[in-house]
Amino acid sequence: MDLRHLLFTLALICANDSLSASDDLLQRPQISKCRSPEMETFSCFWTAGNFYNLTVPRILQLLYKKSNEEDWKECPDYITSGHNSCYFNASYTSVWTPYCVQLASKNEIHDKKCFSVDEIVLPDPPVHLNWTLLNTSQTGIYGDIQLKPRLSTMAPLYSLKTARDYEIRIRSRQRTSEKFGEFSEILYVSFSQIGIGCDHCTEEVEFPWFLVVVFGVCGLAVTVISIMLSKQPRLKMLIFPPVPVPKIKGIDPDLLKKGKLDEVNSILACHDSYKTQLYSDDLWVEFIELDIEDPDEKNRASDTDRLLSEDHLKSHNCLGVKDDDSGRASCCEPDIPETDFSASDTCDATSDSDQFKKATEKEEDLLCLDRQDNDESLASTDPQSWHRNTPSENSLLWAPFGDSVESPRPSVHTQISNQNSLTSNDFYAQVSDITPAGRVVLSPGQKSKLGRAQHEGCTEQNFTVDNTYFCEADVKKCIAVTSHEENEPHVQEQVYNEDGYFTTESLTTTVANFGAPTAAPPSSETPVADYTSIHIVQSPQGLVLNATALPVPDKEFNVSCGYVSTDQLNKIMP
Amino acid sequence: MLLTKEGVTSLPICPNGSVNCQLSLEELFDRAVKLSHYIHFLSSEMFNEFDERYAQGRGFIAKAVNSCHTASLTTPEDKEQAQQIHHEDLLNLILGVLRSWNDPLVHLASEVQRIKEAPETILWKAVEIEEQNKRLLEGMEKIVGRVQSGEVENDIYTPWDGLPSLQLADEDSRLFAFYNLLHCLRRDSHKIDNYLKVLKCRLIHDNNC
Repeated sequence: MDLRHLLFTLALICANDSLSASDDLLQRPQISKCRSPEMETFSCFWTAGNFYNLTVPRILQLLYKKSNEEDWKECPDYITSGHNSCYFNASYTSVWTPYCVQLASKNEIHDKKCFSVDEIVLPDPPVHLNWTLLNTSQTGIYGDIQLKPRLSTMAPLYSLKTARDYEIRIRSRQRTSEKFGEFSEILYVSFSQIGIGCDHCTEEVEFPWFLVVVFGVCGLAVTVISIMLSKQPRLKMLIFPPVPVPKIKGIDPDLLKKGKLDEVNSILACHDSYKTQLYSDDLWVEFIELDIEDPDEKNRASDTDRLLSEDHLKSHNCLGVKDDDSGRASCCEPDIPETDFSASDTCDATSDSDQFKKATEKEEDLLCLDRQDNDESLASTDPQSWHRNTPSENSLLWAPFGDSVESPRPSVHTQISNQNSLTSNDFYAQVSDITPAGRVVLSPGQKSKLGRAQHEGCTEQNFTVDNTYFCEADVKKCIAVTSHEENEPHVQEQVYNEDGYFTTESLTTTVANFGAPTAAPPSSETPVADYTSIHIVQSPQGLVLNATALPVPDKEFNVSCGYVSTDQLNKIMP
Repeated sequence: MLLTKEGVTSLPICPNGSVNCQLSLEELFDRAVKLSHYIHFLSSEMFNEFDERYAQGRGFIAKAVNSCHTASLTTPEDKEQAQQIHHEDLLNLILGVLRSWNDPLVHLASEVQRIKEAPETILWKAVEIEEQNKRLLEGMEKIVGRVQSGEVENDIYTPWDGLPSLQLADEDSRLFAFYNLLHCLRRDSHKIDNYLKVLKCRLIHDNNC
């Protein structure tokens, strides 16, 4: 079959190879070379090979023939040139006449060569070398010599160092030929022999290439290392430009490296595209199922007490958000202006508006709900509910909230969109109040908000807008008129987890857009100061700002929502 | 590769500037030897380049020297014969060989340019050899005029009929013709160089070279 054929072929090939190899072992007699040293005589040399049995004497003949002759003649001299050679003296040598020689034994021709004598000229090595000094340099360091072979042309050697001894060998070739003859015997040249040895000559220092290379490499390495470790970013960037790393806007790569998926999720939740499938609108509805009963619950307990009792007031994710490039800042602090996020690490500027929109949405809902929830939860189960807001639930709550933001309630949505156009970016926010739950309320006022602030439930707007800031008191009026919609405690928890504080902006939006049955405005109609003074510095837990809750009989205080000086405050303080 | 003329400098014909000056025979021989040496050097180089470029793998073996068109001229075949021949005869032979190569060299210079992708060095050498051969011929005629007492015999001449072979359509045949022509040129230029050196040694230095 095929395998057999293959094997057979392989066997044949191997056999052939072995046969050819064996042929190579049997070397036939062959003419190795023919050479003329001076173009007057020539010799041919051959190798006998091992073709014949050693017992049978082999008789090899060298036959030659000139081109203009017809008969082959035998070598005239087998001896002069040595063993296995044939020497043709001058009488047998015709220079430009082509010759053919062949190596034969009896009737068998082993090898044949054709040539002309002028083509096989290979001079003998020069003999009887002698040398003479031509001249020396002015400094005596260098000297020129002339080599004098007996029957050859003289050969000069230039720029030999007189302080050194030399061994010289010469070989020669025909000028129009490329092949050189053999090297001659060694000729020893020493300048001291003829008395011109340079005793005062110092040994010439050769260029220390090795040292140069070593030091050059070391210097280069040191330079590179110093640049790498240099604290000058300019130089470093000039020579070693930083390799751009892929960056997702709003995402800090370090977060991904460290595996802080929670934080990454929080950042991604800012973006529209990030949606988790786990949470649906139902959860949102779930979260907002809170009973909002008494807007006056806030006044049940002093803010201070509430605040101080909340020893677990801690800043969770967004509360303690640092101003790093994690991207969360823009999501978690909607009061911070969008344009402030010039760094690409934070949430996209383009998405900031949406983000703010969502933030305001959530702020609006949560704020109003929160307030009512605050009032009731604080009275009852506030510590417990707060404790429920363990950080461990933050991640869980954050994600659904993020999703829930995108499913706004229809009653608010359109209003939110209107409101957003009026929102401005404030770089600074005043702390106007601390909510009972311990939230810090900021008050960046805005004129433009006034326009749309008119809404049901907040009809009696007396926003004193002397600057861009609202007075919180006015805002609170609206807040008090909020809906009766139920909120879930979870929402409140979410709010706590997300933000460290609300802004008055959000308050205004909430106020403006919250369609709700009007309720009695809060008892306090006193305008809210833009700045609040420190009321109590009681504990390490913080300051209590409480300018708004105090009765302000002072007219000047009522009129202006400006900064309340300490004198004024002293008057006010009971 | 730019090849400089070895030892062939443009010596002034009359260094003194006089009109009727004559170069000595020694100077004439010196120039002749230098030219012949240079021509042989160019021929040898040209043959080697051609052999390397076109003859490898084609199995060209130089035909017997009888195929050279100058083979009919009986020239000395060794040093001894060269020393024995009369210098005038030798000079005439040299002239005859030089004249016989005049025509082939002209055609060689023109036909070698038609070889496909001929190297520039071969083309240049062919032109240079033709030019130098003319100069050597002039010099030798002067030498012969100086040396010979009688009339100069110009009958030593071999015509060349190898032009059709250089124009064959078949490339292999054409290249083989070039190969043989260059081989003959190398051989003959070597002959002339040696003859002139022997003559110079004999006539100028009295065989004390």
